[in-house]
This record gives sequence, structure tokens and C-alpha cells, in this order.
Amino acid sequence: MGMIIALAGNPNCGKTTLFNELTGSRQHVGNWPGVTVDKKEGVYKGNKDVTILDLPGTYSLSPYSAEEIVARDYIVKDKPDAVINIVDGTSIERNLYLSLQIMETRIPMVIAMNMMDEVEAKGDQIDCQKLSWALGIPVVPIVARSGKGLKELMCAVLKAAESHEKPERMHLFGNELENIVAEIADVLGGREQDENWWKAVKLVESDLVVAESLDPEKASAIKGLIDKANKSADGDAEARLADVRYQYIGKIVGECVKKTKRGHVETKSDKMDKILTNRILALPIFAAVMYVMFACTFSENFLFIEGLPSPGVWLAGIVENIWGTAAAFVVGAVEEVGASEWAVGLVSSCLDGIGAVAGFLPLVLVLFLLLSFLEDSGYMARVAFVMDRIFRHFGLSGRSFIPMLMGFGCSVPALMASRTLESDKDRKITMMITPFMSCGAKLPIYAMFAATLFADSNQTAIIFSIYMLGIVTAVFGALILNKFAFKGNVANFIMELPQYRVPTLKSVLIHAWEKVKGFAVKAGTVIFASTVLIWFLSNFNMRGMCGMEESLLASIGNGIKWIFAPLGWADWRASVGVVTGWIAKENIVATFGQVFGNVSDEMVEAVMAGEEALPAIGEVFNRVSAYSYMAFNLLCMPCFAAVGAIKREMGSWKWTLRAVGFQMVTAYVVAMLINLIGNVVF
Amino acid sequence: MPLSMMEQGDTGKIVGFCGQKEMRQHLQDMGFIRGDRVYVVGENHGGMILMVKGVKIALNRALAHRIMVTN
Repeated sequence: MGMIIALAGNPNCGKTTLFNELTGSRQHVGNWPGVTVDKKEGVYKGNKDVTILDLPGTYSLSPYSAEEIVARDYIVKDKPDAVINIVDGTSIERNLYLSLQIMETRIPMVIAMNMMDEVEAKGDQIDCQKLSWALGIPVVPIVARSGKGLKELMCAVLKAAESHEKPERMHLFGNELENIVAEIADVLGGREQDENWWKAVKLVESDLVVAESLDPEKASAIKGLIDKANKSADGDAEARLADVRYQYIGKIVGECVKKTKRGHVETKSDKMDKILTNRILALPIFAAVMYVMFACTFSENFLFIEGLPSPGVWLAGIVENIWGTAAAFVVGAVEEVGASEWAVGLVSSCLDGIGAVAGFLPLVLVLFLLLSFLEDSGYMARVAFVMDRIFRHFGLSGRSFIPMLMGFGCSVPALMASRTLESDKDRKITMMITPFMSCGAKLPIYAMFAATLFADSNQTAIIFSIYMLGIVTAVFGALILNKFAFKGNVANFIMELPQYRVPTLKSVLIHAWEKVKGFAVKAGTVIFASTVLIWFLSNFNMRGMCGMEESLLASIGNGIKWIFAPLGWADWRASVGVVTGWIAKENIVATFGQVFGNVSDEMVEAVMAGEEALPAIGEVFNRVSAYSYMAFNLLCMPCFAAVGAIKREMGSWKWTLRAVGFQMVTAYVVAMLINLIGNVVF
Repeated sequence: MPLSMMEQGDTGKIVGFCGQKEMRQHLQDMGFIRGDRVYVVGENHGGMILMVKGVKIALNRALAHRIMVTN
């Protein structure tokens, strides 16, 4: 018999940690139907008939955000067998507010009192037995990070689920309001049914979602009752209910929690915040953290030691070597069997195409490991707060910063991260400008040009300037979108700053892998298919196999090259590069390797790493047009995988096309300006 | 007075909220409740870090302006 247990709790209460501990690696991440909110499911380690479902982290069951609507719809309509409500013992009062709201739905539930180790370390005591008695539901002390108490927790939950033990209906609101709630529930079909009662409470709170779901007849009957409720509560029944719930919580917390010290005591987190969110020091510290993060990922001279690769570059080198050896072996084997020339060519170009992406995977992985560490430690929330001040000038909230930062790794998870933004406007603008952040796959393009045309200037400065160009364009893009395309003010910023915690290795690894997975899958599917296609287009025309100059690819390039004349590179090879770049940006270098004379595979790798120059590029590009070309590929439509992510997150083709259109126009204008101004100046 | 007028180290008692219902409700959900004490942990030009119900919450000044407090 299958059983479904849902996890509910505030953000940052350790819900994900508990989920990982209960399910291990057997997880499945999907989407809730109709909304872009993660739906995580897993099988309980101790009993494979039990499915654990991770509901989104919420502060209440009021319909403030998509997450809250998802969580409450699931609890009220789909009715899991039982709910585990995780409560952060260190901020028990605020967390119990959600608990009361879940109890109001009268679903079998158990409270998991988490972070008991930190509670004890502070010298406080929570009497879970007494709390359980006061609330009328089981309360189990746990430490999710170390797995302590989880067996007892699951035991209590399964018992509650099997016996359908529901929390008692609480009567907290006072006689007058309780009677009105009961009357509304009667109109809805009878006060005995829990769902009617719950809806009645929500209606008294002027819950718009529930109000809209009513049929008009009932709505008009209920309206008078709601007015009556508001009148009896000095004009605001919703605020009264919140007050009453918190008062009740205050009372039981007073009975069940013993605090050793009174008043505000400075914790380690407070001391760290004094420095990390200091009005003068915050930004320099953050810049330093960024620098270290990027150095760990991309630096060839790590810790300023000449020739020492950073962990990211080192790993990438290993993967490239292994892949190169394996690919050479396979190609050799295919030749051995006596396959025809074209078959060997196809196999080797496919392997190279995937190898190029596989080589980036370690870079992206290291970047996301570090980002996940910063996120799980609690620092990212501070960064969002510190950046909010600056972002507000561009018409964005500080929360937009995290997706944009992730954009330097890979746009796909970055676009997915934008879903945490509450305001629809902020989310759309963020998604439109996030691809301007130069992703890991675009770096080889710059390295190629830097080594070829900018060999005698400061190559690092050239590459850095391209990154800066992306950031500056994003800022102007946000300003322009805010001014002309979107109405309304920037959403207010409000965010909990969780206590600083050293994240566990396991949670960081799982977290990073969730983000890198998209990139890895892309390497295996899209890139593989596209390499086959490009290989075919560049080796065939309508009459059969042919040289590159007469191929279908050349015809396509020749057909569209006029478009790029104002940008300074009306050449079929450059145009083809743009097209293959849409399949995956790193394709551009591989395509150049093929179209600028048959360059060997080792050469392409060396060019990608910026070690060697691709000789023929100089015939087509000069410095100005090369820079314009880099800018265009940085800013124009991102790869198809990222466009797919925009489509998923925007939820509409109309907005996806608008975003891509905006990126295309921006890229064209910026590249044209570079070409015009560059030719005057240089 | 509005909470935005308080300075680092100040403590105040919440007496009410102004502005949209939705935002007000979200503030309540996050622990801002009439009668509760808030403590200003830190501030910068753009916003404030507050302590309510033992939880640290950062918000921008425009929002802090909508929360009314007394000493």
C-alpha cells in the first residue's frame, strides 16, 4: 500500500536537509502543473512504499506567492496521508505560525522540532512532550543535519497516517468570530466538514483565491457575514486572526520553552553580520569573495603562482585528457574495422563536439559547488540585501542578483533560479538580461580571438572587458525595459537572513548537481545531435559529399551574411558560427576549426584554451570586427537549451519571443556601435 | 513613528501597518505582529536588518516606512 508524506515548513528550516536524509539519492525533481515551482519527490529509505513529497518552503498558507498556493492546494485538495511540519527550534514562535495554519486544515500531522543541537547550545530547552500535549499532535525532536531522531519521527508519522489521527479543531478566535466562521461554513455546505471550515476561515481573512472560487450565489450570501466579521474585529478580521494565532503561540511557547537568557543576546551570526553587512565593508568583502570564486574556477595562474591551475581548470584538463584518449581510441577502432572515410569523419566530429562540452563541465561544476556553498551557508541572502541598494537604481530588486551571478556559470540553471523572485515584472526582466552574463561556454570564443588577433596586447584585459560589456549592457537593458516595456514599481525587498551555518558536504553536492544536471544533459543530447547536423551540412551539398566551400553550410552562410555587414563581418564563415552558436555557444570555436581550413583536433583544443592562434581568422576579421563579433555572440539569443529554459519559466511563447527579440536587437545595436566607433577610433 | 526612522540598536513596539493588504499579510506571516518588539540589528542607505521573534529579517526602507512603531 502506497503512502504519501508531505514535508512542509518555513524556508531555511532545514526542510531540504531532512528530505535528503529521508530519501537519500532516490529523488525526482519535476514541476507542479501550471506553475514553475519545483516538485520534489523521493522514496523513503526505510520503506519503499512510502513516498516523501517536499512542499515548497512557505511562511504561511495565505496566497502571497505561487509557492504558498502550491503548498496549501496540495494539503487541502490532494490530502497527503500525513504532513511532517518541520519547525526550526531556534525561531520556534514564527515557525509555529505555519504549524497552526496547517493544523487548521486538519490533516494528520507531526511536528519535527529541528535544530535541537543549536537550541541546546544556546542553553535553551524545548519541552517537546509538553508542546505535543498542548497542541494535540506528536512533536518529535530531531537534528536533520546529523540524522538524529529521524527514526522516531518516521515512526510517529506513519502511525499518524495509518490511524488518520487528525489535529483537533481549535477555537481560538473568540465566540463572535467563531460563530461567523461557523455560519459561513454552513453556507458552504455544513460546518462539520473540515474543508468548509477551513475555507470559511480563509474567507474571513479576505483570501482572494478562495473568494474567487465561490459561485456567485454563495458569495453574495457570505459577503454580509465577512463584513460582520470585519466589524467585530475593529475593521480588520484578518489582522485579528493573525494576532490571535500569535498570542496563542506566545502562550504555549512560554509554557514549553525555557530560555536561559532574556533579551537580545549577540550570537556568532550577529557578529559576522556586523562585518559582512557593514555599510562600508560589505561591498569590498563581496567583491573579494567573487574574485576568489572565479579564480578557483577559471584561473590558469591560481593564487598568483605562474602556471598553477585552479581546481576548475585542473579538473577540466583531466577530463579533456581522458576524453581525448578515449576518442582517439574509438576513432582508431572505427578505422581499423575499415569503415568508409565519411563514417570515420562523422564519429570523430561527434566525439569532439561532446568532448568540448565535457571539458567545460568541471568548470561549471566547480563554480556551482562554490555558489551552492555560499547559498547554503546563508551568505547569499546577505548579498541580495547588500545588492538591493544598488539594483534598485536599475529598477530591480536585490533578489535578481543571484540568478544573474549564476549566469556566469550556465544560463540554464540561472534562468531557473529566477523563479524565486516574487514580482512577475522583476522575474521577466531578470530572465531577459541574465543571458548577457557571459556563461562558461562563451569563454572559448574570447580565448580564440584573444590568442589570434590580440596576441600582442593584454589578453586578460580584452576578455575581462567583454565580461564587463555584458554586465553594463544588462544594467542598461534593465533600465530600458523598466522605462518602456514594464509598468509599476520595483517590488519591495523582504528576506529572512538565516543564521550562518557550515553546510554539509552532502547537501552542497546534491544542490550543485541539481544545477549542473541541465548542462550535462545538454552535452549528451542537444550537442550530440547538433554536431551530427553541422557535420552533415558542412560536408554535403545537394549532389553529395563535397568540400567545405561548396557545402550546404556555406550556402546558408552566404545567404545570410549581408545581415551582418553593418557589424563588420559579412563573411559566410562568421555567419555560420553565429548559427551554430545558437545550438551551443562553444560550437563556434569548433565550427571555426572546420570552416577556416581543416584544422586538426588537437589544434582546435589548443585554440579553445587560447594557447594557439587560428591563422586564417586574420583574413576575415580585424581587431574591431573581432570585438564586434565577440560582443554579438555574447549578447544575441542564448543557446537553445537556455531558450527552452526561458520558455519553461515564462510559461508562454509570446514572452519567450519577446525576450529573444530583445536580446537580438540589443546584440545587433551594440555590435554595430562597436564597429562604427571602433573604425573611427582605431 | 515609522520603523524606518529608528536607528541601529533601537528597540520599538509595532503598533500598526499601512499600505496594501497583501504586503501587510506577508509581514504578519514573517512574524511582524502588532504589540511585538522589534530590534534594529543594522542598517544601510537602502534598507534595515531587524530582529523579530528571534528571526533576522532584511527589508528595504520603503517597506520599513510602512511599519509603525512606538518606543
